[in-house]
Amino acid sequence: MSIVPKETIEVIAQSIGIPNLSPDVALALAPDVEYRLREITQEAIKCMRHTKRTVLTADDVDSALNLRNLEPIYGFASSDPLKFKRAIGHKDLFYLDDREVDFKEVIDAPLPKAPLDTAVVTHWLAIEGVQPAIPENPPIEAIVAPPDGKKMDHGKDDSLPIDLKLPIKHVLSRELQMYFDKIGELILGRADTPLFKDALLSLAKDSGLHPLVPYFSYFIADEVSRNLNNLPILFALMRVVKSLLSNPHIHIEPYLHQMMPSIITCLVAKRVGHQISDNHWAIRDFASKIVASICRRYGHVYHNLQSRLTKTLIHAFLDPSKALTQHYGAIQGLSALGPSVVRLLILPNLETYMQLLDPEMQLDKQKNELKRKEAWRVYGSLLLAGGSCLYDRLRLFPGLLSPPDILPWKTNKKIALTNLPNNKRKASSRLTAHQPPTKKLAVDPTGTNSQFPSTDGPATSSSSGSNPNHHHSHNSSNNNSSSTGNITNANANINNVSGSGAHGQRVAVSNVLRQAWKEDLDAGHLLSSLHGLFGEGIFSFIQPAEMHCFI
Amino acid sequence: MEEEVEKAVFAYLRKKGFRLTEIALQEEQTRLSSDASSLSRSESDAAKYYDGYGKLRSWAYNSLDSYRHELLRVLYPVFIHCFMDLVAQGHMQEARTFFQTFREDHEMMHLRDLQKLEGILSPSHLEEMELARLWRQNKVKIRLCQYSYELLVQYLHKTQSLAMLGVINEHINFEVYPGQPASMSDDSEAVFLIGTSQDLAREINQKELHWGLLEDSVEERMEKTLSESDKTEVDGNKEADTEDNNKKKTDGNKHSTAVNNKKKKDKVVGATGKTIRSESSMVSVPPRVKPELTLPQFPPEVEQSILEDLRNRVQLNSLALPSVSFYTFLNTHNGLNCSTISHDGSLVAGGFSDSSVKIWDMAKIGQPGRASNPQGENGSMQGMHSLASDEAKRPYSLLQGHSGPVYSVSFSPFADFLLSSSSDNTIRLWSTRLNANLVSYKGHNFPVWDAQFSPMGHYFATASHDRTARLWSVERIQPLRVMAGHLSDVDCVQWHPNCNYIATGSSDKTVRLWDVQTGNCARLFIGHRSMVLSLAISPDGRFMASGDEDGTIMLWDLSTGRSVSPIIGHSSCVWTLAFSCEGTLLASGSADCMVKLWDITSSMKALKTDDSKSGPASRLRLLKALPTKSTPVYTLRFSRRNLLFAAGALSAGS
Repeated sequence: MSIVPKETIEVIAQSIGIPNLSPDVALALAPDVEYRLREITQEAIKCMRHTKRTVLTADDVDSALNLRNLEPIYGFASSDPLKFKRAIGHKDLFYLDDREVDFKEVIDAPLPKAPLDTAVVTHWLAIEGVQPAIPENPPIEAIVAPPDGKKMDHGKDDSLPIDLKLPIKHVLSRELQMYFDKIGELILGRADTPLFKDALLSLAKDSGLHPLVPYFSYFIADEVSRNLNNLPILFALMRVVKSLLSNPHIHIEPYLHQMMPSIITCLVAKRVGHQISDNHWAIRDFASKIVASICRRYGHVYHNLQSRLTKTLIHAFLDPSKALTQHYGAIQGLSALGPSVVRLLILPNLETYMQLLDPEMQLDKQKNELKRKEAWRVYGSLLLAGGSCLYDRLRLFPGLLSPPDILPWKTNKKIALTNLPNNKRKASSRLTAHQPPTKKLAVDPTGTNSQFPSTDGPATSSSSGSNPNHHHSHNSSNNNSSSTGNITNANANINNVSGSGAHGQRVAVSNVLRQAWKEDLDAGHLLSSLHGLFGEGIFSFIQPAEMHCFI
Repeated sequence: MEEEVEKAVFAYLRKKGFRLTEIALQEEQTRLSSDASSLSRSESDAAKYYDGYGKLRSWAYNSLDSYRHELLRVLYPVFIHCFMDLVAQGHMQEARTFFQTFREDHEMMHLRDLQKLEGILSPSHLEEMELARLWRQNKVKIRLCQYSYELLVQYLHKTQSLAMLGVINEHINFEVYPGQPASMSDDSEAVFLIGTSQDLAREINQKELHWGLLEDSVEERMEKTLSESDKTEVDGNKEADTEDNNKKKTDGNKHSTAVNNKKKKDKVVGATGKTIRSESSMVSVPPRVKPELTLPQFPPEVEQSILEDLRNRVQLNSLALPSVSFYTFLNTHNGLNCSTISHDGSLVAGGFSDSSVKIWDMAKIGQPGRASNPQGENGSMQGMHSLASDEAKRPYSLLQGHSGPVYSVSFSPFADFLLSSSSDNTIRLWSTRLNANLVSYKGHNFPVWDAQFSPMGHYFATASHDRTARLWSVERIQPLRVMAGHLSDVDCVQWHPNCNYIATGSSDKTVRLWDVQTGNCARLFIGHRSMVLSLAISPDGRFMASGDEDGTIMLWDLSTGRSVSPIIGHSSCVWTLAFSCEGTLLASGSADCMVKLWDITSSMKALKTDDSKSGPASRLRLLKALPTKSTPVYTLRFSRRNLLFAAGALSAGS
């Protein structure tokens, strides 16, 4: 009934050397123990209030015991709150993490730094009721509030209030200056130390760094241009950029224009790093991620941000005179911006580019091993871009994706197979869903097939049931075995579909559906074209569930 | 049937002559029956309370809208007493269930009491716990309108719920008044008043209170001057512009120093006095009272500096907000318990958990070159360092003497002396000039939570865990007065500006005002729902603000003893409160890292307009909230020039 159960009393009794406490005693003691505990807690809270704290510490309990003329409990003294650990397997059982300390260790350890002495500093919390924007004060509302897209939209200039700039110019406290110097030193000299990690964390979390942002952006721009062949420093700089971007207290938009060039430099520079062996691909990847995150966050504030960025990148991508490394960076940057950018900008140029790239990749045509490796890298990034784009398309239309994409390069009978998931999910809509393929079929096959000659023979709308089986066995090498189970099912469906197809031609297709088909056809085209360019490699981007639809 | 068998058995036994067996059987029978009856009785008792209260509760909640809030008032005391009855009868289990079932209803209003009462687990605890005893010994007085009362009586008769009737008869006094039920807003005054303490409060609060300002204070002299100078100006001095005036007056000063001290000052402050009077003419001029204590005289140069300050005072109101200078304590390692700032802001003192008191002289800190750099050079040049130079190295003066955490520090009006109170039961007086301990005052038996110098110096008041507040003079090591009456710790103390009263806030959730001459309680303010942590009295002496643990700030009218406007001011403990020098603004500092400025004049005006009703309708208006950077605000003080000083320790952990 009470919070302290009698078992607790028994356990305590045992622990202090009373082995056989009668249960009656325990039962009688339990409520009183609870009452005393509450009493001590009440006094401890009073002590806590008078030390102007809102967190109870062991010291408060000691003071409370003192008030009641009891001996304090030794061994818990600490001005910090105790750290309790949850006992594994128990929901509400906690214990103090009390590690055994080796004396030798303690003695041998160097003396810890003496704690700093108490000091008093003054600042103006308010001047005639207005809080000045100085680092000692919490960041004012404008900086704390998440940037409101609409407000920022109609005036880049408005977002830079003059009173914000003044303190930046004139009041850079000594502490901030030291902080800045230290960070700079870390970046340039000791980027691999754990201290640098802490610094990054501080950059990402601390409020009040805002006055330093212009200095940092200048510093980064400066150092990037100076240290293009020093990968570790570039990496450190990019990580600083990332931390600054993620700091919620920093209002970084006004400085983006200063930072962007440095990041893009890291992305598409012709030569990054000192030696050939340096892994400059990693920094390009990293920079592409930063660029993408900037676009995501501030793209809606500055509408021309993304367009300017993509323009720069596509120029780098389409210029054959540029080095393959630059192409790689451009592709990475574009693909990081999302599948729609890839679809609009990379895919149309893919074919021509592949023609350019192909010779570079082949052993007999390109003798320079380094160049060949670079070409393969570029190929890989293109594959990734195309694949993720395809994956995205497929995800958009999970239900309707399948039928048409087979059309151009597989037999009509394939439809039956691809419609399997569809049948399961919405049998009612199956009928209508089946119609367009046959309809489209009449128009499409010639065009698409000629454009993308596929390995399979030309499609015929009236092919017999033998064909699908053939295709299936042909492609099942990279499919899981589950699809084999579907074969019979598929065969059973064939009749069904051909029947309904004939029947369905009479039914009008709704507009909406047509639109969906059109989009879907895109995905189909995309897949086929990508398949044409990359071969089987592209299949790894298709989810297994959809995978067997294509095969 | 059974009786027949019994009779037969007894007859048989008697017939056979088994007398002893017969007696044994009889004994056993009676014991069994009594056991059974007592058991069943007690069980049904517990159930009676449970059912009875449950029914009463649902009846009250379903009663007529306009009377419901009155009837609901009855529930809380009945609830408490049912619980305590159950405990007293030893039904621990039932008491617990009862408490848990209905606890929710009262949590909003009485959470802290409930938390305390929850701990009662045996009849002996009832005796021991202050709060429980209070409830048991005193009757609750509830104001009900005629009809509500009739409804209640009718209900109790009809349902025959004797347990409830018993509880209500035993512990509640009804004060029935004719007419319509009072509005909801009066709830805070009508509910949960424990009979005698409420009566006491009423009785106490009927006493006359001389809340006015002191006669012959510097300010008053200034005001008089103003009127005089007004007259003289009217007489014919009109063409002289103010600058000329000032010049003349200062000239006059020099000559008449010995002759007429008072008049001189009047003239000096003439210009300032005008502005002040024009403002004070809007507010009614507070009455003047004679000091009850023999007060020290300020030395002339001090008075001069006060006048200087008054002349330079910035006028504050809802449109002109003060500047706030914030003193942040760094690297306190959770050790700073309290702080105080001298009137001119030049000295800042902190009391620490490690028993030390440290005083910073801001004038020295202002020159970092001298304070830190040369010392560092010295240190590198000379390997050997004496203790003395170590001391010189510190940017503060360290005062050691206490043997327990220091809970409060207070500067004398001109920062010559510093008081500190500690958990070692003593109060110490330090000289800020000598940086040495002068006196240790012993008298309290428990930690001294608060110590405050009087506005005129010389006297000081202390508050302690021993439930008393004491009045001391710096010259005597024994207290002059002991103010006893609070039912729990006295947590804070504050002087009335006229030095005739001191106010104390306590863990028993009341604020009391004590007459320093008689040591009697002059006012009792009931209304807080948790421990009172801070107090401030307006400069005109009429109003008092008190802040509590929950962040509520209440404003009281000292003359009537009523609450003017309760507000939820902060989200956490209100550590400190301060009135601006004209009494137009109230500043509050809290553990939620905020300094808030409240408009007092608006609520005063509201008070005046419906003075007859004096309902707590008006609310304080928040003028400005100034967040600090994770620094809870420990101390606030308006300088004589109306600059607001604030101090707090940076808490890095959060």
